[in-house]
Amino acid sequence: MSILKDWKIHVAAFIIVVICELIGAHKVQMGPGVLLFLPMLYAMVLGGIVSWPRLKIINLQEMNAASTVLSLTTFILVAKLGLIIGPSLVKVVQSGLALSLQELGHFLGTVILGLPLAIFLGLGREAIGATFSIDREPNIAIIAEKYGMDSPEGRGVMSVYICGTLFGAVWLGLLAGYLAALNLFHPYALAMGAGVGSGSMMAAASGAIIAVFPENKNEILMYAGASNLLTTIIGIYFCLFVSLPLTERLYKILTPIIGKNQANPKTHGGVAK
Amino acid sequence: MKTGETVLVLLLMGVMIVVGNTIGYHYPITDAMIGYLMIMAVTLIGMGLAKIMPIKLPMVFWISLIALLATSPISPYAGLITAYTNKVDFLALITPILAYAGLSVGKDLVMFKKMSWRIVIVALTVYTGTFVCATAVAQLMLKLEGII
Repeated sequence: MSILKDWKIHVAAFIIVVICELIGAHKVQMGPGVLLFLPMLYAMVLGGIVSWPRLKIINLQEMNAASTVLSLTTFILVAKLGLIIGPSLVKVVQSGLALSLQELGHFLGTVILGLPLAIFLGLGREAIGATFSIDREPNIAIIAEKYGMDSPEGRGVMSVYICGTLFGAVWLGLLAGYLAALNLFHPYALAMGAGVGSGSMMAAASGAIIAVFPENKNEILMYAGASNLLTTIIGIYFCLFVSLPLTERLYKILTPIIGKNQANPKTHGGVAK
Repeated sequence: MKTGETVLVLLLMGVMIVVGNTIGYHYPITDAMIGYLMIMAVTLIGMGLAKIMPIKLPMVFWISLIALLATSPISPYAGLITAYTNKVDFLALITPILAYAGLSVGKDLVMFKKMSWRIVIVALTVYTGTFVCATAVAQLMLKLEGII
């Protein structure tokens, strides 16, 4: 029972959960929208502070244990979503066309916005690994197999992976809450958008959407869950056969047009060696 | 991870989820406990299936399938399972998940410090892109189909 030996991590998590739920949700008006601060966001931030290496509260082994627990808990999340979708299976199938096509938005959305920006900022082939997908574990595997982790593409995918671990859920939670409060999009559309293919990011985004539209809670979870499931399951094939080749081609087309610092390879690369 | 260990960790999670659920969302604690045990059972069955099935599909697939079947109209216990699992709030589930995510952050900070500010901006744009583009397509399609 090695995982229970790292009891400190579980005690810390428990205390964090209690504190965060006691604080509860808060809204802050910002321009036309609302920034939502939900218990889950404090939990991530508090956890981050506790695990700050300089504070020496928890050690590396305990952080790894937290990581293992994290992957198990996302399975609980998947089960909960499945249980929510079950009763409205027919309704989900009825929106099948919208659900399927919005997946294109998920898969290509990373490239459309990310790749031109990455090239503009002067990234080299890191840009390919960084933007071909949302860069979670399965996507890392694709890059590792094709280019190796020591390649620029490998560094790109790892960098975005780390940023996702550090800020992904918090960022999507704030972004989704803000967009929802703007009332530009229907809650169902936002819910489908929330299914980005990462359990914690999807959870944070849909949690924020629910906080804005509490009356549509079950539909939001249903569509977010279905969309996330689709992204996760077909994601690996889509990324391998469509997104990655497309990103490669676009990189070759765009780099001569908007790329800068081409003469100085040192400025390429997101991660210093 | 061994099965016994998995069960223990999931039980431990359950304590946190049920306590958070009671503090933050005020559901009756016994109902939530039964609800959580049901969610946990579905998870474990799905994980088990992924191991023994001859077709190799991700664990997420099997867990979803079992969960979907458990509450779909074909399940004789759908009503019961839905009633209890609804007592475990989705948001109560996320708080511990993100707490653990936060607690594992420290190990990635060393790598993060070596990264340039440019890649951070790119990363946030990538996450924004997938969310916003999918939402926009979904909005358009749902409108065209007359669902919204």
